[in-house]
Amino acid sequence: MTTASNTSADPASKVPEAEQPNQFNVQIANGEASSAFAQKRLFQLRPKDKGNNPRGPWKTAFSRLLRDKLAVASFVFLAAIVLSTASATYYADHISQTDPFQSNLDGQIEINGDPAEIMAADSEGLGLGVTPIGPTWTGQYLLGADAQGRDVAARLLYGGQNSLIVAFASTALCLVLAGVIGTVSGFLGGIVDTILSRLLDIIWAFPIYLLAISLSIVLISTGLQIGPFHIPSNSLLLPITIIGVVYVPYVARPIRGQVLTLAKSDFVLASVCLGMPTARILVRDILPNVVTTLIVFAPIMMSLSILTESSLSFLSIGVQPPAASWGTIIQDGQGLLYTRPLVAIAPGLAIIITVLCLNFLGDGVKDAFDPKAKLRVGKG
Amino acid sequence: MLHHTVCRAIAMALLLTSATVGVARAEDKPKIGGTLRLAAASAAGTIDPHISYETGFYWPIFYVLNDGLVTFRKAAGEPSNDIVPDLASDMPKISEDGKTYTFKLRKGVKFSNGQEVTLRDVVASFERLFKVGNPNSSLWYSVIKGGDKCVETPPTCSLAEGVVANEADGTVTFNLTQPDADFLYKLAVPFGSILPADTQPSDLGTTPPAATGPYMITSYDPQRGMELKRNPEFKVWNEDAQPDGYVDEIKYSFGVKPEDAVTAIQNDQMDWMYDSPPADRLKEISSESADQIYINPSFAMYAAEMNTNIAPFNNKDVRQALNFAVNRRAAINIYGGPRLADANCQVLPVDFPGYKGYCPYSKNPGEKWGGPDMEKAKALMERSGQIGQKVTVTVGDAGVDPQTGTYLVSVLNDLGLQATLKVISANIQWTYAQNSNNNVQITLNTLWQDYAAPADFLQVLFNCSSFHPGSDASPNISGYCNNAVDAKMEQAMKAALTDVAASHEMWSAVDHDITDDAPWATLYSPKLLYFVSKRLKNFTYSNQARMVFSKVWLD
Amino acid sequence: MLLAVLRRAFDMVFVMFGISVIAFLIFFATPGSDPSARIAGRNATPEMLAQVRIAFGFDRPLYVQYGRLMQRLFIAQDLTSFVNRGQKVVPAVLQATPVTLCLVFGAAVIWLTAGISLGIVATVFRGTIIDKSLMLLALAGVSMPVFWVGSVMNLITQSRFHDTWLFSWVPGLGYTSFFESPSLWFKTLVIPWFTLSVLFIGLYARVLRASLSESYQEDYVRTARAKGLSESRIMVRHALRTSLITLLSMFGLDFGALVGGGAILTEVVFNLPGIGRLTYQALQNLDLPFIMATVMYSTFFVVLANALVDVAYAWLDPRVCDAR
Repeated sequence: MTTASNTSADPASKVPEAEQPNQFNVQIANGEASSAFAQKRLFQLRPKDKGNNPRGPWKTAFSRLLRDKLAVASFVFLAAIVLSTASATYYADHISQTDPFQSNLDGQIEINGDPAEIMAADSEGLGLGVTPIGPTWTGQYLLGADAQGRDVAARLLYGGQNSLIVAFASTALCLVLAGVIGTVSGFLGGIVDTILSRLLDIIWAFPIYLLAISLSIVLISTGLQIGPFHIPSNSLLLPITIIGVVYVPYVARPIRGQVLTLAKSDFVLASVCLGMPTARILVRDILPNVVTTLIVFAPIMMSLSILTESSLSFLSIGVQPPAASWGTIIQDGQGLLYTRPLVAIAPGLAIIITVLCLNFLGDGVKDAFDPKAKLRVGKG
Repeated sequence: MLHHTVCRAIAMALLLTSATVGVARAEDKPKIGGTLRLAAASAAGTIDPHISYETGFYWPIFYVLNDGLVTFRKAAGEPSNDIVPDLASDMPKISEDGKTYTFKLRKGVKFSNGQEVTLRDVVASFERLFKVGNPNSSLWYSVIKGGDKCVETPPTCSLAEGVVANEADGTVTFNLTQPDADFLYKLAVPFGSILPADTQPSDLGTTPPAATGPYMITSYDPQRGMELKRNPEFKVWNEDAQPDGYVDEIKYSFGVKPEDAVTAIQNDQMDWMYDSPPADRLKEISSESADQIYINPSFAMYAAEMNTNIAPFNNKDVRQALNFAVNRRAAINIYGGPRLADANCQVLPVDFPGYKGYCPYSKNPGEKWGGPDMEKAKALMERSGQIGQKVTVTVGDAGVDPQTGTYLVSVLNDLGLQATLKVISANIQWTYAQNSNNNVQITLNTLWQDYAAPADFLQVLFNCSSFHPGSDASPNISGYCNNAVDAKMEQAMKAALTDVAASHEMWSAVDHDITDDAPWATLYSPKLLYFVSKRLKNFTYSNQARMVFSKVWLD
Repeated sequence: MLLAVLRRAFDMVFVMFGISVIAFLIFFATPGSDPSARIAGRNATPEMLAQVRIAFGFDRPLYVQYGRLMQRLFIAQDLTSFVNRGQKVVPAVLQATPVTLCLVFGAAVIWLTAGISLGIVATVFRGTIIDKSLMLLALAGVSMPVFWVGSVMNLITQSRFHDTWLFSWVPGLGYTSFFESPSLWFKTLVIPWFTLSVLFIGLYARVLRASLSESYQEDYVRTARAKGLSESRIMVRHALRTSLITLLSMFGLDFGALVGGGAILTEVVFNLPGIGRLTYQALQNLDLPFIMATVMYSTFFVVLANALVDVAYAWLDPRVCDAR
């Protein structure tokens, strides 16, 4: 294979994405690798010892994961968050009883029998200013209203839906793309590998926020036209595609390294000698390992995607109105930071809790699936 | 309802007196020196006084930088509407037929580059207006002889017949094709600034022109700010027209979000902000720093302009439906509450010359708006057959526009349209919305007066001739063109030469006609709230130049 | 060694070239719209469009257009804004650079100091509640969106607690040059520094903690311990030394990325006129010449940092040479 010595041909540069750098690399490598070398080390990820384990690697991993209390707790928490965002419509219809996408600037509600203006004009001093209703801590306007008189709690749930959908879908897209590219590149080698890995190097070196911003700005002004398909500029598919694509090199490179190592490993060489067909080797020996790595990546990629989505939305080039996401609600809350800070603080807390859970889960998944990932710098 | 409004008006009047008292109270001793620190959320493009139509934003700066032959008196209140001689030594001699204006140029005034202001500069400046494509060149200045040709072929513009310099007696004569009651106003605004004859005949962009006023721009970076220093060549020639400034330097910072500007003023780090304080902070400042607040009525309208040439707003029923449906109180709540704005349905602002209260789009139509009428709106929508049409509400990203835009989307959706919001930079929104190639369906703007005469609103914004398809400079954003109304405007213009009161009657009729056609959904007349630092004294609000920068001093 | 440096240089140029091509393709060849309309901004007049078409040569083949753009960006440096007509792009970028450098440099000092201290403390107390809670905090730091932290910081320091002794010294948002007033410069930057470093403190503490624990398993540390060296000596002389090399390489990359506009959110929230905010404003105005320039210049910093880190790493850690 011409790429056998590819470790050194690799521009050893690892570019951390803007303000959310490296974290998954670091975590993938059990936190012991620096960002720059996490990738290199993953070249030395050992193939799973097959056959040693009567219960199969997956079952073992899952039972290990189940024993990790923090990971299980995080998972339960995440499930609760997903369920509650899924109930957004029910919440809006039956509990908050308002349409969280419709302005309500001149309305009234009843709190404990007393009528209250949703947007109350102030009476102190010169009597200037109108303040949206604060948290009522009851069904309607639980967390108060935003500047349009819309129920923040209901919007938080709807926004959560979008944030999670974008995060999940872009992670899935990223992992699939990275899996395919990494495997093809590592397994086929030769000119295909050279081209693909060079391309990955370049995208990798592109500051991630600038790449995402450049893509967003071009696509949001016109929408995306792929052949006969047109994605309009306010579709969720745009942030999903953008976030999914920009992170591909971060996953594809380690996968490629792993496949490269596997392809040279004794048991694959043995299979080749035994005359096993290439497709079979790919399916039996290579893919299971790739999938495991992808699973390890999944939670961390998701946490990254949530943060990226919220940042793009905060810069108003992510999720587009009238749709909401946690990022756009924080953006809305900027205008109320002084009178109703909860509007910006609540979605921020939602993001932090979700991302924290995903990171805990990520730690757990990694420990469970790859407990012996003993990575060393140096010759593999 | 009426009673309620009266009460509010009285409360408002009281409020205003207390605000005016602020001026008197601050009259301790004038102080010279210091740096006046101003803040704005973003810059507004070119600082070419012949091009920039930023009446609220850049014009107040231009008023202390450059001079025309005449200008508005730099004073507070009503006197600020008067015209006084500036670079001309006296008011002009106007011929019987109202077609020639002769000015005597003041001697010895120098530009900041050391050159003396000459008659040649005057002629060149008016030719330059056409060469650089002044937004009102065809509407306002083509009345000068030769102006029509200049509009057609700007690069070769010559006003040899229209603006005639007489070196012998130091006068310059304007020959008009027809009498124009508003002509002096048009010379008094910054478009009438006299610049050196050798100023480049294209947009100056970020390069400041030579100044004649007490200050000159020493640096302008739209990303960061603008700095003004004293013009070393400046000497007072007419206290009314161009008084000397108190502060030595004026530093305008751009990119300061309004909420941050409020904080900075509270903490004495800024002296004045261009943008209105965000609604979020009003409660706090109105209770804690009431004596730093000045509220002034403004001759302005906040309105949603609909494009009358493309669907669905090419349908009058839809336009009227929106007018009936829109809850002006809701829009006012976004702006900062009932004390900061008057609901309005028509084009002319409250108390503007020619204003007569008129609101057909109300629960109980009459002089004032009394509440939305959703039923009528829905019936109109039903009749229009436009239900289900897609609408994009395009707004700038500054001030109340995004919030009000969101509210409009909500209303349009209630009416059965499919509305979405598109927020673009406030820096480009005004020109973007004007250009008919961009197919903006509905947008939001605050329309300010240039000078206090009804033609300024009605003719500039609704005359067929102020609609220029495919151009950035087309202030008739609605693309509204009604020949009958145009004819009435012409009559009113003529009447203004002889009988101002009669002309106001006629303008009022035009106002009501246009309101009936509903190219706009007018929301309210905003009042201007200025929040200034504790050390800023002698706040002087001119109807034309807003806060007069040369009048304030720093304690 | 010379060969290695040459190869690095070649890699660097190659990656820069690749990035510029990608950026070019994004802005000029995305299907479905006219690039001249996009560059001239949303309020383009027909004349302006024509001007843009000529300036960028849109009638020519793509590679000619690319060459022309690069020439205008890096050699002639005559690219001007289409929104604020006449404003030159390159000086604006150069003017914004020191602001970003100050921001990132100060934050780096904080995050290195705090991150390393936390990592060491956690390792020393490994397995205890101190270790666990420190690592939990670190993970929380990593999980917070920086713009949100910035907003909350603003809320606290500019509004809620501004009148208390705690934060009364905090000046308004914005930037003052060091040469204008060193004390004001410092005061305006302190809060942004801390905000920007929160994430990195968490990150570096976690990495260092993991790396140190790993070193403790290594043979040479065991040997040292067998020789009877004190714990602190082992920490400083052996374990920490190796781990710091790792941290250094990570630092170089992060620093490069941040200087290259990665601090956009912090700059926007705190209104600091650096590269990031320049990009953001260009973004709001859809001012493509500005966006292209900031992207290109930022990439330059990033690629340069990568190269420097690699060279430094090869120099510091002889084992890497083996791998080559």
